Amino acid sequence: MADIDIEQKLRQEARGLLEQGKVDRILGYEAGSLKFTTTPLVTADKDDTERLVVNPFVVNNLSAFLTGMEGKTGIVAKGCDSRSIVSLMQDRKVARENLVILGIPCPGLIDVRKVEVLLGKERDELEDISREGDKVTVTAAGKKTELPLAKVLFDNCLACDMPTPEEYDVLLGEPQSPVADPAASRAGIEELEAMSPEQRWEFWKGEFSRCTRCYACRNACPACFCQRCFVEETDPQWVLPVPRWQDNLIFQLIRTIHVAGRCTDCGNCERACPAHIPLRSLSKKMYDMVDELFHYRAGMDRNPEPLLTAYEASEAED
Amino acid sequence: MAGNKKIGRKDLVKLLEKWSQGFTVFAPSRENGEVLMREWDGKDSGFLEWYRNSTQPPKDVVLPPMEKMFAFHKEKDGYRIEEPPPQQQQRRRLLFGIRPCDARALTIVDLPFKEGYEDPYYLARRQGTLLVGLSCTRPYDSCFCTSVGGGPSDASGVDVLLTGTGDGYLAEAATPAGGELLDSAGLEDASPADEAGAAEAKKAALAGITRKIDSEGLKDRLLSCFEDREFWEKAAAKCLSCGVCTFFCPTCYCFDINDEMVGEQGARFKSWDSCAFSVYTQMPVENPRLEKWRRVRQKVCHKFEFYPMNFGVMGCVGCGRCIRLCPVNWDITRVLESLPPAAES
Amino acid sequence: MATAEFEPKILAFCCNWCSYAGADLAGVSRMQYPPNVRIIRVMCSGRVSPELVVKALRSGADGVVVLGCHIGDCHYISGNHRTKKRMAILRGLLSYMGVDPRRVRLEWVSASEGDRFAQVVTEVTREIKELGPNRLFTDQGQEKR
Repeated sequence: MADIDIEQKLRQEARGLLEQGKVDRILGYEAGSLKFTTTPLVTADKDDTERLVVNPFVVNNLSAFLTGMEGKTGIVAKGCDSRSIVSLMQDRKVARENLVILGIPCPGLIDVRKVEVLLGKERDELEDISREGDKVTVTAAGKKTELPLAKVLFDNCLACDMPTPEEYDVLLGEPQSPVADPAASRAGIEELEAMSPEQRWEFWKGEFSRCTRCYACRNACPACFCQRCFVEETDPQWVLPVPRWQDNLIFQLIRTIHVAGRCTDCGNCERACPAHIPLRSLSKKMYDMVDELFHYRAGMDRNPEPLLTAYEASEAED
Repeated sequence: MAGNKKIGRKDLVKLLEKWSQGFTVFAPSRENGEVLMREWDGKDSGFLEWYRNSTQPPKDVVLPPMEKMFAFHKEKDGYRIEEPPPQQQQRRRLLFGIRPCDARALTIVDLPFKEGYEDPYYLARRQGTLLVGLSCTRPYDSCFCTSVGGGPSDASGVDVLLTGTGDGYLAEAATPAGGELLDSAGLEDASPADEAGAAEAKKAALAGITRKIDSEGLKDRLLSCFEDREFWEKAAAKCLSCGVCTFFCPTCYCFDINDEMVGEQGARFKSWDSCAFSVYTQMPVENPRLEKWRRVRQKVCHKFEFYPMNFGVMGCVGCGRCIRLCPVNWDITRVLESLPPAAES
Repeated sequence: MATAEFEPKILAFCCNWCSYAGADLAGVSRMQYPPNVRIIRVMCSGRVSPELVVKALRSGADGVVVLGCHIGDCHYISGNHRTKKRMAILRGLLSYMGVDPRRVRLEWVSASEGDRFAQVVTEVTREIKELGPNRLFTDQGQEKR
């Protein structure tokens, strides 16, 4: 089913939900104000649903907006987003009965930065990016370039565990198989693990020297829903709000641990960072470590208690 | 115009080298996909090929993300300050390649740091920095400088403005300090062909600005809809309350002050703060901007209503960074366009 | 400073019911162990958040050891289970970032294991001495904070 048909169905569904008063608002995507971007659409107005879009640029994990939302919400969710929703349900931040999940099977999203690098052009200098199956055609200066899909997908899309939502109320579109290239999705991590510990520390020191503590990573993350983040504590003060590399590194290290067992590798953090710090090289490492150590991946099943607070009586023996 | 100089493209590196003798020269550099104004490495001019604008605005040279104000030591009978407030930088700095929007932004940021209280930290850096601007040739689709009183070749904030002529640059002095800089550089005078080439480039750049808003009457429109909670809640709905727009904005200047003590030794730091953060107005008893829509309203009004009221100029230069860098593509131009008309008085 | 032998500063978080009592027993029994460890008592090892451990390193501790009850013996039933999971992740990430994981340890010591406490402290001190001082967070020219 082409994106355009899914869009039509989505708009109908969303409109219907608002008209029938089944939800208080729709949370989806609309065309962004820049080429090849989308932006979240939050609306209670049924006519606004005409603006809903589904395309390879629907990058934001909308579940980040759910915590604290009152009433009922109709939310557009890709596979990864539905996992974040499930994780939030496990954390009891969101009640399933307050959601109508409009599931969108996702073949992977296009990372425009990768396209920029491959073509040596910036986003606003590209004329068109379109996907057909596993090929992406980019038009710039009148010339068309064909790229394999796997080369321009986001790194986390390459490791996608669930392209088709398993928790949904309506599924719009055919179930998708992932464009799996787990090696490529872990490339940054492999590179780092091949370094000596001293080199790794220098690497992270360098990266976090560019951090300005804008907290885009934290605020974009669905798992970061604390009313008062540990960085805002002043008594005791764990880190100063001053962007020294030491404090920046500690902020991200602790944040990564705090979301352990709840991070679904949606990639929102790395996408949000204006300094292009490779945050997924931390979060994906943590995600894989949690899988190795505890055979647990967040958001795959709504039943278990959250990993790090769970305690089974059967664990009483070491 | 009489007095304008010409710099050949091949001579630019030599000129920067010459300037490096009297100044610490800052120029655009690329680190991991981020473009930053950093100390010039002494040889590279390749940035001229790819440079459009820096990711972090050059304000980080005069208002750095963090600054150690002074150190102090706890004594028996009080605190001893170990470093006095900053003196003038020993070596003057030259910011090469600053864009007209960012340079104009500095003149706008100057106002709260000069009027009433003179901030010695800001002023020491600002007065010690010379600005050699570079006219834009490839504006972004997010640029809207012409809608807020600026332009791609606006010289109102720079000391010198360079404009590409095809085979080099036309150098125009915009301040006496700029004039001195050019005079002492031993440059040849600009020819009529150079003037014409620059004029063409300026015209072309203007045509490259595609994003436009009507900024006339914004102040009144904002004043009218201040209490319109529904409007602001809708406008704020997708904002994440992170600090990207404010930190990367060339006209934002809010900062926080924090002390740190370890044992008897302490230091006071100044660092960027953001009105978008939920804790920005957190006080012991209450937080008047606890709700996100109040913070979003504050940001828009500060730039387009309060700043004009207090200083007679908009607190935005249309550089477009907030639009480019916002993780959710929250777009201030869209919000401004959607403002209801001003109420009839 | 160049000639004196390096004496590490090690922070030990000891849970009130088991390991702190174990430490007490070691003391009362006049067991010999290196003086490098500074003990901070917590009610349960599960109270030790990653922030505490990292702040200790940031402040200049050369090593941090978290001591709790053996699995199955936690006074609060499940506290040490959380500790175990949490410390595994913390050590894994620290190691990945370039911090030697031997600087951060997790050990179970019961109230009756005064000798084990002394043994753990001796071993940890020896290992950290070999690793050398923690200079991770020192910026050039600045004092350790």
